[in-house]
Amino acid sequence: MKRILLFFGLLASSLYGYAQNPAVVRGRITSSEDGTALPGVNVLVKGTSTGTSTDADGNYSIAVPAKATLLFSFIGYLTQEVALSNDQTVANIALEADAKELQEIVIVGYGEQSRKTLTGSQTSVSFDELKSTPAPSPDQLIQGKAAGVQVTANSGVPGGGIFIRVRGTNSINASNDPLYIVDGVFINNNNLVRTGLGNQVASNPLADINPSDIESLEILKDANATAIYGSRGANGVVLIRTKRGKANSRSRINFNTYQGWSWAPKKFKVVTGPELATLQNERFLNDGGSPELVPFRSKASGGSGLPEEQPTYDRISDVFRTARTRSYELSASGGNDKTQYYIGGGYFNQESIVKPSEFDRYSLRINLDQHLNEQVKIGTSTALTRTHRNVSSNDNNPVGVINSALFPKSNLPVFNENGTYAKYGSFDNHLALIDNLNNNATGTRVISNVFGEYAITENLTFRTSWSIDFNDMYENNYNNTLILAGQPKGTATSALSRDVTLLNEQTLTYLKTWDKLSLQVIAGNTIQKNTYQVTSLSGQQFPTNSLETIASAATQTGTSTKAESALLSYFGKASATWNQRYTLDASFRADASSRFGVSNRWGYFPAVGAAWRLGEERFIKDLGIFDELKLRASVGKTGNQAGISEYASIGLWQGGNNYTDSPGTAPLQLANPNLSWEETRQWNVGLDLGFFRDRLTFDINYYDKYTSGLLLNVPVPLKSGYSSLLQNYGAVSNKGFELTVTGDIIRSADFQWTSSFNISTNKNKIEKLAAPFTAGSRDIFRLQEGIPLYSFWIYKQLYVDPQTGDAVYDDKGNDGITVADRQIVGNAWPDFYGGFTNTLRYKAFDLNAFFYFEKGAQIMNMNRFFLVHGGTQSNIGYIPEQLERWQKPGDITDIPRMTTVASSNNYGGTVQNLSSRYLEDGSFIRLRTVSLGYNVPKALLSKYRVASLRLYVQGTNLWTGTGYSGLDPEVNSQSGVGNTKNFDWATVPQPRTVQVGLNIGL
Amino acid sequence: MNTYSKTITAAVTAFTLLLSSCNDILDTKPYQQLPAASAITDATSANAALLGAYSNVQNYYSLNYPTLGFLPADNVRFNGTLNQFLQTDQNALTPDNVIITGTWTTIYQAINSANTIIDVVPGLTDPVLTASEKNKITGEAYFIRALGYFDLGRGWGGVPLVLKPTKTISDAQGIRRSSLPQTYDQVLADLTKAEELLPEAATRNRAVKKTAQALRARLHLYREQWVDAEAFASTVIGNSSYALVTPYKAFFTAPFLTNESVFELTFSNADPNTIWNNWYPSALGGQYNFQPTTDFIATLNARGGNRSSLLASVTTGSTTSIYGNLYNRSGLRDDPAYILRIAELYLIRAEARAQQDKLDGADGALADLNAVRQRAGLANSTAATKAEVLLAIEDERRLEFAFEAHRWFDLVRTKRAGDVLGVTDTRKWLFPIPLVDIGADPDLAGDQNPGY
Repeated sequence: MKRILLFFGLLASSLYGYAQNPAVVRGRITSSEDGTALPGVNVLVKGTSTGTSTDADGNYSIAVPAKATLLFSFIGYLTQEVALSNDQTVANIALEADAKELQEIVIVGYGEQSRKTLTGSQTSVSFDELKSTPAPSPDQLIQGKAAGVQVTANSGVPGGGIFIRVRGTNSINASNDPLYIVDGVFINNNNLVRTGLGNQVASNPLADINPSDIESLEILKDANATAIYGSRGANGVVLIRTKRGKANSRSRINFNTYQGWSWAPKKFKVVTGPELATLQNERFLNDGGSPELVPFRSKASGGSGLPEEQPTYDRISDVFRTARTRSYELSASGGNDKTQYYIGGGYFNQESIVKPSEFDRYSLRINLDQHLNEQVKIGTSTALTRTHRNVSSNDNNPVGVINSALFPKSNLPVFNENGTYAKYGSFDNHLALIDNLNNNATGTRVISNVFGEYAITENLTFRTSWSIDFNDMYENNYNNTLILAGQPKGTATSALSRDVTLLNEQTLTYLKTWDKLSLQVIAGNTIQKNTYQVTSLSGQQFPTNSLETIASAATQTGTSTKAESALLSYFGKASATWNQRYTLDASFRADASSRFGVSNRWGYFPAVGAAWRLGEERFIKDLGIFDELKLRASVGKTGNQAGISEYASIGLWQGGNNYTDSPGTAPLQLANPNLSWEETRQWNVGLDLGFFRDRLTFDINYYDKYTSGLLLNVPVPLKSGYSSLLQNYGAVSNKGFELTVTGDIIRSADFQWTSSFNISTNKNKIEKLAAPFTAGSRDIFRLQEGIPLYSFWIYKQLYVDPQTGDAVYDDKGNDGITVADRQIVGNAWPDFYGGFTNTLRYKAFDLNAFFYFEKGAQIMNMNRFFLVHGGTQSNIGYIPEQLERWQKPGDITDIPRMTTVASSNNYGGTVQNLSSRYLEDGSFIRLRTVSLGYNVPKALLSKYRVASLRLYVQGTNLWTGTGYSGLDPEVNSQSGVGNTKNFDWATVPQPRTVQVGLNIGL
Repeated sequence: MNTYSKTITAAVTAFTLLLSSCNDILDTKPYQQLPAASAITDATSANAALLGAYSNVQNYYSLNYPTLGFLPADNVRFNGTLNQFLQTDQNALTPDNVIITGTWTTIYQAINSANTIIDVVPGLTDPVLTASEKNKITGEAYFIRALGYFDLGRGWGGVPLVLKPTKTISDAQGIRRSSLPQTYDQVLADLTKAEELLPEAATRNRAVKKTAQALRARLHLYREQWVDAEAFASTVIGNSSYALVTPYKAFFTAPFLTNESVFELTFSNADPNTIWNNWYPSALGGQYNFQPTTDFIATLNARGGNRSSLLASVTTGSTTSIYGNLYNRSGLRDDPAYILRIAELYLIRAEARAQQDKLDGADGALADLNAVRQRAGLANSTAATKAEVLLAIEDERRLEFAFEAHRWFDLVRTKRAGDVLGVTDTRKWLFPIPLVDIGADPDLAGDQNPGY
């Protein structure tokens, strides 16, 4: 604290020297392009250190000696020199944009910077790139656009969760999601939908943000870029800036709409009734059954009929549909010199290709900036969103729609003879589910920020910002008696979850450019408080299926939870650039988290970075090869505490352990007063290259991250009465290489072609772990030292013995198959992944094609695990792969003979069917989007007072190249379970979509 | 001072004020948990902790423990998709089986709750907490610990005996597995203590003196201490609060807690037992994971009597599903977990007497066996020799406790699992120690049960 005061004291005293001079020149600086005022332009008396900068309206005034020359410089514009005549008191200048530089201002933590002087590693995605990919949530837009950022859909459910990792996975227990900051608000990214979907994360809170409101996205990757966010920065930071009105611009009204049609490119296949019966009979005989008593023998002899007499019922087709997507948006923006505004409203609706789930969103945004006077500006960025999800379970859930259609035997009828829904084993009836599922989740989200900026001097700005992220989810689920979840007399739940973050932030920014030196210093603090609470009610036993509210239930129970956490932070950053050639950055952040014990609350996160624009040096310039040659290096430390329990360090007993309906308490967790920050040290080296007047650029990075003091639930001896203790134990490393190549290949008046390619690798490794432990359904994932996260722990099948037809597994020690033979076989990390975008423009037409690819990740195909079961599952049918089973000596196949005998380990026994034969290569390349647009020429539009009109047609996932046998290689059916990935189990595939759209600007 | 410095002074002051006032924000308190140190401080919290200990017993007795009792044997087959059940049914358990891990974990959780109560409650100074109330609470905790170690012992053999609460993780370190006799000795010590401390009154869903004595009778039976088994069984049978109820299904008919019951765990809609869901066919909203075997259905039908109420059937279309109906409260979800019934005490005494060659007469094995048979609506047993009587008792227990936590443990106890179930590898008569614990607990290293 003392040091911070001292810093401000010094800053203040340095300003006392500033003095006024009576000989003054005034003027207003505008952009030559559209005449808008340019605030923050540096005005310097040439040959002196006297300087100023323009205010919010582009006005300046400066004291000058006689016959002075003024230099006007501004990032993104060409520097202009004006020699003043005698007695001249006004100099209004229109600065010309530097076309090359203009695009290269990037948003950084708490500020902006020219890309030329960046020392860190970050990727920008501009709105121009986003608008061609209509998607329900902004994170989906990043896929394949940024090297080092892996984005994978978990399922094709609209508004559902998404897998996103910036430079690999750092943490085992704490959160791995990046920090999202929308207009300065650190937003919550916790799924609030509580309805169980079968291990799938039910909602993606980022879908509350209308992608059309976004101006730009900035992804901060290395420590130097993220350390200013300290404890929040370890998983990368996504800065989202929404659209704002421009000063002195005329009002623009935009209307956008698109209409889409989606379907499943591939559907599940199951065996026919006769095939099923043949397999069942074979199983019976293989297990020593008498041929006279096979289950499928003539009805006359007491059987279920001969195999060829078996009917086949198609359930799969009932489940899929051609789903509609609709989007409508209307926005207005503009402003005068004092007030600028952007108002946008939108409606988005997307049906799932698997009945009956659906997502819709109403959104409203108001961004307002008001200059009270020359020094003070206030403003707000406010977004209101209402979402609705019709939630339907799938994945790991026998009463999910897909499971209920896929798993039952195909020879069994869908309806009973009396016309009621037929159900088999644990499975519900798929049609009963489609017709009766009634799970509604309605979300209300307010992300709002008000700020005030005070230009204390022309170089020093104080900003204070007050924000709220209010996220409410109101769920009403009613299960009637026609579905299993409603047995026996109807069940219902109603829950309200509320996640509220209050955030206050102050920053003091000092910006100054001298002749050769530019300096940026920022200091600030953040106070953040989060409250999470849930109140829920449930009811059982309803008088009739027509009464759905809990008030009608015979038994009603309720519960509630509440938890709070807080973060207190101080931060500072300084960046100096000499002669646009050498840049040195340093930042520091101190964070205190309420989640840790008093003595371990504070974490300190420093970073430094340096850049050298070698290309500006004479000896390189003389080569005449490089337009840009820049070396970058950075190192720093960030922290993590998100995702662990609010009271993780305290020994706790919990209520709710009731008996005989009287309140009881029981031990919940052991204390760990030493619990503290998980820390990630990262260094990054980078190289930026530009050739042919920067029409060909390369951005190359290598990073090395080491996360230590992992917040890990370390297994403890179970005899203690606890199963784990959260400790700072263990370490994970991520190392990777990123390359982005951008080409401005053809640039003629009528035809342009730009191309961008990126590719990344990430090598993940668990460096230190107390003891191995497992994760996910059937313990399929195992964490142990020396291997990557997301490693599959199964039995390795070597072959099927052609003589016996039994599967042969890797048997260590030749002592028969025991649990000790269960081993790591592959993992879910791709060797590399990336994207490739091409944009072609010919006159009024534009064509954009975007490919995304991943190579080398493995997928555990649980649909095969269950549906190639050799007869061990009495209520489950088969997929056609089962037909390839071994039948007689000499058969060469991977599928062992049908049997339920445990000792064979073919489908049960010790192996439990956890065989590597269901693990597959999940490499794919897919044409994520392709769009064709037509911009109606202005000449045609002008008489209708229309400024712009664009029509386009777009296809999503039109083509996928993959060897994966499941429906979709982009899958994780247990996204809600930590430390798992690429697990495919009755998951909704990515839809193939065709949509047509229209943008009108007035 | 010019305006700039004033402004800056003001800004710095405002900033400083903000910073200094917000340290308090970090002192968040849990809303629905208690710091461990203040978990048990007075009469109310001691009682809450005790109820929590019962709740922990519920956690392992609602599904897992009964499953381990019947599924490895011949009454029930698994008819679902989950491999942990299939392994149990096929006597092919592996150390990573989640039922095994779950049961082991939850039993030790109950023991830790009990240990805490035994450690803390006697020393509490709350005027409201009378000496007899303290004794009652502590006695119930001793009983819960005894039950926990008994259930561990009969499943896994000797286990680590943790007798102090875990306050820090080091409290549980350094305790290796005891032998089975040592484990049973500890059960005996705890039951003796519980008997001493517990009141007489016949509460059926909480431990009282007779509950401890009934478990003690069972412990002596398992240890083949026939005299003691007979004596303690007699103590309970002799108490007029306990009697066989007729018909058989009366004890599993709401509102439960019949005179039959010596100890059962009560559930309610707010604290539900959903085991019914595993028994009921899908036509009735269940998953039909546990299906009575054809052999069991045939045997029960052949014997006749009113124990046929253990089974029910439902017909949809042309399919008739026969299902177990012991747990039948699908709507209210309040099926009890049946732990000790007076019928068991009769059969314990019958077996103890038969083993002592007391077959006939008023204090003979057959009298007790026939008492249970009569309640089931059956004629007296025709068994005559000691061997025949013992076999008849085994058969009676199979049907009487068909879907409770008995059949497998009985056949292992009498070393008949090989003959009756064909599980000839005696190493499989004990469950494996959970794999995760072998890894996490250095005291268990190299101490897995043989054969796993």
